[in-house]
Amino acid sequence: MTRYIIERIIAMFITLFIIVTIAFCVVRMMPGSVYDNPELPQSVIDALEAKAHLNEPLLVQYGYFLKGVILEGDWGTSVKIEPSVPAFDVLVKRIPVTLEINIYSLLISLPLGIIFGTIAALRKNKLADHLISVMVVICISVPSFVFASLLQYVLAFKLELFPIVYESTAVGVQRFASMALPIMALAFGPIATVTRYLRGELVETVNSEFMTLAKTKGLNQVQATVRHAFRNSCLPLTNVIIPMFTNVLGGSLVIERIFSIPGVGGIMINSINANDHPLTIAVLIFYSLVSLLTILIVDLSYGIIDPRIRLEAK
Amino acid sequence: MAEKNDIILEVKDLHVSFKSYAGYVRAVRGVNFTLHKGETIAIVGESGSGKSVSVKTIMGILSKNAVIDSGEVLYDGMDLTKVDEKVFHTLRGKRIGLIFQDPLSALNPIMKIGKQITEVLILEQKMNKEDAKKKAIELMRAVGIPQPEVRFDQYPFQFSGGMRQRIVIAIALASDPEILICDEPTTALDVTVQSRILELINKIKEERNLSVIFITHDLGVVANMADRVYVMYAGKVVEFGESEEIFFEPAHPYTWALLSSMPDLETKDEKLMAIPGTPPNMVYPPKGDAFAARNQYAMQIDFEEEPPFFKISDTHYAATWLLHPDAPETPMPEQLSQRIKRMKEEG
Amino acid sequence: MYIADQNNMPKIPKEKFVFVQQGTAIKDENFETKPIGFFKDAMMRFCKNKASVSAMVIILFIIFLSIFGPSFNSYGFNDQDVNRINLPPRIPVLENIGIADGTRVLTNRRVDNLDDPEKYPEGSIVEILNRRTEKNVEMCDVKINYYVYTGYDDEYFWAGTDYLGRDLWTRLCRGSRVSLMIATLAVFANILIGIIYGAIAGYYGGKVDMVMMRICEIIGAFPQVVVATLFIMFFGTGIFSIVMALIIRGWISTARLIRAQFLRFKSREYVLAARTLGVRDRALIFRHILPNSIGPIITKAMIEVPNAIFSESFLAFIGLGLQAPEPSIGVLLSDGQKVLLHYPYQTLFPALLISILMISFNLFSNGLRDAFDPTMRGID
Repeated sequence: MTRYIIERIIAMFITLFIIVTIAFCVVRMMPGSVYDNPELPQSVIDALEAKAHLNEPLLVQYGYFLKGVILEGDWGTSVKIEPSVPAFDVLVKRIPVTLEINIYSLLISLPLGIIFGTIAALRKNKLADHLISVMVVICISVPSFVFASLLQYVLAFKLELFPIVYESTAVGVQRFASMALPIMALAFGPIATVTRYLRGELVETVNSEFMTLAKTKGLNQVQATVRHAFRNSCLPLTNVIIPMFTNVLGGSLVIERIFSIPGVGGIMINSINANDHPLTIAVLIFYSLVSLLTILIVDLSYGIIDPRIRLEAK
Repeated sequence: MAEKNDIILEVKDLHVSFKSYAGYVRAVRGVNFTLHKGETIAIVGESGSGKSVSVKTIMGILSKNAVIDSGEVLYDGMDLTKVDEKVFHTLRGKRIGLIFQDPLSALNPIMKIGKQITEVLILEQKMNKEDAKKKAIELMRAVGIPQPEVRFDQYPFQFSGGMRQRIVIAIALASDPEILICDEPTTALDVTVQSRILELINKIKEERNLSVIFITHDLGVVANMADRVYVMYAGKVVEFGESEEIFFEPAHPYTWALLSSMPDLETKDEKLMAIPGTPPNMVYPPKGDAFAARNQYAMQIDFEEEPPFFKISDTHYAATWLLHPDAPETPMPEQLSQRIKRMKEEG
Repeated sequence: MYIADQNNMPKIPKEKFVFVQQGTAIKDENFETKPIGFFKDAMMRFCKNKASVSAMVIILFIIFLSIFGPSFNSYGFNDQDVNRINLPPRIPVLENIGIADGTRVLTNRRVDNLDDPEKYPEGSIVEILNRRTEKNVEMCDVKINYYVYTGYDDEYFWAGTDYLGRDLWTRLCRGSRVSLMIATLAVFANILIGIIYGAIAGYYGGKVDMVMMRICEIIGAFPQVVVATLFIMFFGTGIFSIVMALIIRGWISTARLIRAQFLRFKSREYVLAARTLGVRDRALIFRHILPNSIGPIITKAMIEVPNAIFSESFLAFIGLGLQAPEPSIGVLLSDGQKVLLHYPYQTLFPALLISILMISFNLFSNGLRDAFDPTMRGID
């Protein structure tokens, strides 16, 4: 098992290295300089470029870059979004707000999804099941940014129940109120995903032979469902839940933009649009790292939870 | 033969059908059987003859689209077709145990074997953990699991098919039931393992004085197990009697066909007799004798009226018009009588 | 249990006791029903699913609009006119009952200006609301017919106009055409690449399979957003680069699906039999194994279409959409979102369009999946 984990981690870093290399080359080969400010004299631009090693061949630049990232923890320096601030700090500063909103939305959506999924499975083909499945189709189909616009217009603008955009300076109840809409907009998708997945799994396990055995050996309906069907259905559910948890780090690009949340999602769009190349590279590395970690954690957790994989990998 | 008054379970004129898109499938159309204390009965028939449905009714584990149209299942003064889930809960496991056809899928794949046995002891019998474990290990030893202490903490995938079936048997025995229902317990197993599981069931039955209902499509399996045999076809019992009577003096053409299609060591040159045709569509069960369309000996009356049971001996009855006094004298097929003679000689 | 009474046997006429089948060979019953082909069977089951059928009708209707919609009126998708910007929707007939009548409420107007035909052309005022006095000036909100107000009384913009005065109906239709085209192209390419890649990996197996699946894993580890971003940054925004950005990583799931199908079918007896008869690899792949996967492939394609539409609008939303002035649903949504609070209709129509399209495609593919499910075959 330990060996398997180590292998997976090494493989992850190799993939990360490849992604970083490609990202670096693509971004650096983009036309236009990051310092193309018409107010600065050419000599200053040249000096700035030389300081950032931009006048050297791509490979040498990459060498400097890697050295900075690995040895000094230096991910480059933002040029336009927050001039002269290290890109790493720009990112780190924005993580808490993203985390907060995404975790709240998960804390709402997971229990709801599990409840809806269980109801739908146990009331299969009854009215409750049909209503829930209509909800699932709508929530899965309609993009989150459409929900976000709808909430923003109806609840915030027309009914004035919540602030229209996120207020980073607000405190207490006001703060929660300003987070409510993005939290809701982010919750619809996960609720539907968990509901649909759990319903499918539960329906299958409820009809399985070992559920019948559980009943015939003398457990009552509730005991059999909870101890056998539910447990077994939650195992594959980790497959969809864990990515949700790690994705909170990445935030939601679009939701943050709509509600003007100063999180990591917005920084990516801004840095691309502003040609802030060092920051763009840092953001891309960050995103790759998050999604690679997700894949790794899903793989490993599956091994830990499922005895069939855990014991055979030994 | 057991006395009349120690009947432990009696199924009377049971009718069960399933709702399907095509209409109601009449899976069981009037089944009767009795189980005496300490006896083993076998219910034999091809797939779809309604034998599994009958025992599922006894356990109250019919699927949701099943409807019990009429009939009674009498057990301990109750009619099990009318009691609710709560009562069944007090019977399942504790009074009636069930062994499954497919041990590979009957065990929860992510729960330790030991826990699956002790679970019911702890939850229902309020045993404490140590006692339950002690009893589980005892049970595992009783069903022939080597090193039960080690095996206790393993998962189902670490067991072979035969071993899993032994575990399923141990689970069924955990709450000391008095009736054990075995639903094709050896079908999914290798032939070599089959006989050992059968021996085990026999042994356990003796030790614990169980009454056993044994369901199978394999007459060969029945021979060593059952005191009495019920032959089912198309949702009905067509012949029943003591084991020897069914094997040596079969009277129903369907039983003849079943026996002829059974391979034995001597059938080198003779061609095994397959039963021609296919079972009837149970959405529209045929009028008269359901087997008539596939029966070499079908008479005009078979297509018109359902035959009643004709008494052959005190214990042996068969539902075929051939036994009517006015019917032409019809001996069983030559090939079959030869085989029976051989079987008798071998003992 | 009906047991015949031995002393009183049922009276049966003698002639009934005649063997009627002796000597005749009893054969297995002939199938009387006509064989139903795979597609016919799937079609029949699909048609029973009302939600999926209505979803299909809606999709066909949207496709129809995306092709012919722009020619329903005379405006081009890029006809700009600064005099008619942000006109609200106005539809003949419906305007008489108060829906889409081209009106808008202007707030905080001076009452004394209301009679000035310079400021409010004749007939433009529909209703005066909320009269009040603030700092000794009489103020009110005015509901005006914006079309009369701006001097476009003869025009009807069914979905209004945008911030450059472009007709939104035409842009919506053209936008859905572009979005559907991008999605179709991307999905088609993904499926094609996936089939070929998966078939080779699954059919040859062994080392070939291992290497090919490793490559898949590495590409799959790139986050979709990162890949798309890099690609569009490098090649610029345009239909081609967006399609490519969707392809780069999109084919992998199809490849995995096809590979699994091949692993399942290649060891079946009928394939081995064909092989021993000397059938060549290509024929085995395309004639013997692949047809088994037609159902899953079609379903997969239909599931991927809404995903692609979503990805496209997502990219547009984060500023990586098509080059102006070409519209797509995502571009329209993104533009509308910027003026959501003032001109909500500019978000409403594209939002409705994409929601209906996504729901329809999801229902449609659900229906297809059930129809093609082999375990459901023959059940009606």
